Amino acid sequence: MPHGEICRAKVLIYSRYGRLLDNQADSPQTMIAIEHLSKRYQEIVALDDLTLQISAGEIFGLLGPNGAGKTTLIKILTGLARPTRGSAKIAGLDVVRQPLEVKKLIGVSPQEINLDKELTAYENLLIYGKLHQVPDLQNRIQSLLETGDLTERAHNRVREFSGGMQRRLLMLRAIMSRPRVLFLDEPTVGLDPQVRHQLWDLITQFKADGITVLLTTHYIEEAEILCDRVGILNRGHLIALDTPQDLKARAGGYTVESLKNGRRHYELVQDREEAQRRALADPQGVIVRRVNLEDVFLKLTGESLAGKREA
Amino acid sequence: MNWYPIFLREILIFTRRLLRLGYVVSAFLMPLLYLLAFGLGLGRRVNISGGSYLNYLLPGLIAMSSMVNAYTWVANGLTMGRLYFQTFQVYVQAPVSAAAIVWGQVAAGIVRGLLSSLILLVLGLVIGSGLNLNLLFLLSLVLNCLLFAALGVVVGMRSKSHEDTANFSNFFIMPMAFFSGTFFPITQMPWVLQIIVSCLPLTHTNYLLRNPVWDLKALASLGVLLAYSAVGLMLAVVLVRNYSE
Repeated sequence: MPHGEICRAKVLIYSRYGRLLDNQADSPQTMIAIEHLSKRYQEIVALDDLTLQISAGEIFGLLGPNGAGKTTLIKILTGLARPTRGSAKIAGLDVVRQPLEVKKLIGVSPQEINLDKELTAYENLLIYGKLHQVPDLQNRIQSLLETGDLTERAHNRVREFSGGMQRRLLMLRAIMSRPRVLFLDEPTVGLDPQVRHQLWDLITQFKADGITVLLTTHYIEEAEILCDRVGILNRGHLIALDTPQDLKARAGGYTVESLKNGRRHYELVQDREEAQRRALADPQGVIVRRVNLEDVFLKLTGESLAGKREA
Repeated sequence: MNWYPIFLREILIFTRRLLRLGYVVSAFLMPLLYLLAFGLGLGRRVNISGGSYLNYLLPGLIAMSSMVNAYTWVANGLTMGRLYFQTFQVYVQAPVSAAAIVWGQVAAGIVRGLLSSLILLVLGLVIGSGLNLNLLFLLSLVLNCLLFAALGVVVGMRSKSHEDTANFSNFFIMPMAFFSGTFFPITQMPWVLQIIVSCLPLTHTNYLLRNPVWDLKALASLGVLLAYSAVGLMLAVVLVRNYSE
């Protein structure tokens, strides 16, 4: 089989939820390979038997409510947490057995803004660059500050920056060492739409530069716009995995949203005519819209991504 | 071992806080207050081993001040950085060894400990308190800072909250400061307490700062400080290496 076909080869397996999981076969282009990964915190199962491959150059989105296991997975892959069972490899290197080699390949933008707020933007980048032994450091810092439109604020303390500027700096710091894999944990949380769009442009640029990106998000729109593939995590289980388009198509083309007895009801239907028929039949009026990933999650789990049980 | 960026970060943050009231009070004013309260209050009435009390007290305050500052800054910084600001996680996610992380923290702790001693050292020289500032004195002072900075890493890595760090300070560091011969000779204590106190590292620092002479007793005390330092550093490296959230 030619190399390209090997890369495209897909193994379709059924999860315990009985839904199709689209699991790429381990190929020469697999950048992140996770095998039967579990993480327990005493009685709490944060991740349960997770198997997943992410290809080089892909933007992969992890969706799920709080406590689904998204951040735990990132912590394991970046050396902050040890798995209870299973293995994870980045570019063929085991994250537990070869942590220093793995850390040379990765950049992390965590959910919490963990910049040193008493230091300046320049100092934050300088220290991170020295930690990662970045060559030609001064030029790299200048170039990153220009990319993030922060040159004029380089010597201001980070605590004086807006939330959006801090997030931007956090992301620039993450790519300081020219990583092959970038982990973005809720990169746009709490930001206004304009700043969010600026960061999306930056993430798209990372992909153009050939960086593999694993991002977690609560924002459906973010996952749909940015991600080549999306995995949906719920209570430590991967319950769906595919491109956003295919996940939505599989769930149904349209969502019929109605209000009954003070509660929202969602019905996913395949074609537009059927959706219109239901809309006309409901005397209280309904909203008909295209299916989004929130609807997919709702269909799979009966809960919204915010964690509220829905009808 | 790429420890310098960790050291640099800690020192940069330290310089930002250097002129804050909290730091000035804890690092400089507290030992000076002890010196004024005990030195001037008791100094005129009390003689120890035929010398003035002020001459006895000053090396003890130098040891205490360096211990408290080296320990507190490292333990608090690590606890806050790990549990609240998540800045410690940047080190763990970087391609640096556990030994480099520990050494960067400890080296910064040494600098803080030495700086807090500096004002007392200068004062001692100005008032002519008979401080013998030779190589053994400086070596003992640096070792004292090192071992308590390493202890700060251990406590900072084990603390589950900021309270844990403060509790360790209240129940171990501060009692040690008072009972290890800082303010009065340990020979004035009951023999059982003398045995316990002679196992504490600060007792040996106090002895070395008062008697910086290369004799057998000094070498034994130096050996104790070195042993404590080695154990503290190893424990710190193991805790950082096994760090997992």
